[in-house]
Amino acid sequence: MNKIWFLMMLASLSVLLVQNPGQVLPQMIFASQEAGKLCLELCGVYAVWLGILELVEKSGLSEKLANLLNPLIKKLFKVDNKEIQKMIALNLSANMLGLGNASTPMGIKAMKSLDNGSGIATRAMIMLIVISATSIQLLPSTVIGIRASAGSESASDIILPTLLSTIVTTGLGIMLVLFCDKFIRRKKN
Amino acid sequence: MSILILPLIFIAIFVYSYKKKVSTYDTFVSGAKGAIPLILSIFPYIATIMIAVSLLRLSGITLFLSKQIAPVFSFLGIPSQLCELILLRPFTGSGSFALLKDIINQYGPDSYITRCACTIIGCSETIFYVATVYLSQTRVKKLLYAIPVALIASFVGAIVACLLCRIM
Repeated sequence: MNKIWFLMMLASLSVLLVQNPGQVLPQMIFASQEAGKLCLELCGVYAVWLGILELVEKSGLSEKLANLLNPLIKKLFKVDNKEIQKMIALNLSANMLGLGNASTPMGIKAMKSLDNGSGIATRAMIMLIVISATSIQLLPSTVIGIRASAGSESASDIILPTLLSTIVTTGLGIMLVLFCDKFIRRKKN
Repeated sequence: MSILILPLIFIAIFVYSYKKKVSTYDTFVSGAKGAIPLILSIFPYIATIMIAVSLLRLSGITLFLSKQIAPVFSFLGIPSQLCELILLRPFTGSGSFALLKDIINQYGPDSYITRCACTIIGCSETIFYVATVYLSQTRVKKLLYAIPVALIASFVGAIVACLLCRIM
């Protein structure tokens, strides 16, 4: 992330130095104000989802969901901790329903408990990032909403192509993670 | 139909919690309390990435890059109008929705281009955002192969999406 950010900043700042130097600071401030606005919006979104999440946890529903998804989670993530399994189960289910914002707080919690302090991402963490980033979408709710409001005649006809392409991306993502993990392990030995 | 799914899930959660003798009001409050510290801890990450993305767009680099890669993309079956969307998608959710709205306005909501764009957005994520925000409360500095793998998988997804929209 450090390298990527540095490259992005260096490239755009050098171009802007020639093209439009006066706009640099205003644009940076504008962007972080936008980030502030976004966070304020997200604060409301997270309050709703964390409230629901707490209910799901206290009522024992999350354990049921985790038990349901556990065979899969154990295979993919190789974690035995019940708490982490629960968070991952909730994160995956929210992602599949197209609720990226709802899945974020659970993803953060799962990552926090997966952290071993070494500073290097573990296989389970990488798996969670990749699966969240490529998640199978049963219902791409946001996009359908945008299309419907633009006057589309069949806004939901993207559900099937989206589902099929996410099956490909998730499958490919999982395979690549397993492959890279094996490769790194072999290199170490 | 799909509009009913979320309310139904919520009703199920409330009724189940009530049956399990969980005090729903107190529990919801104590969960919602977590939102503020969570936002405080992820704000700097969101601001930092949004600054970089907005400078990239202002400098015209993204437009330039998308023109450069357009021939490669069209060889892979991705319409050239979607290059900028695919480039920006891993960095910004709001930015890619803004681009989607432009595309809808220009080509109409039921055109092939729009359906491709919708499918591509549906099957990808703001990868850099997910990676930084998810890890914001950990000490992880080295992500190893996580981001390249996610990017490759999403890119293949975009190719598949364009193909599927053509035949479906």
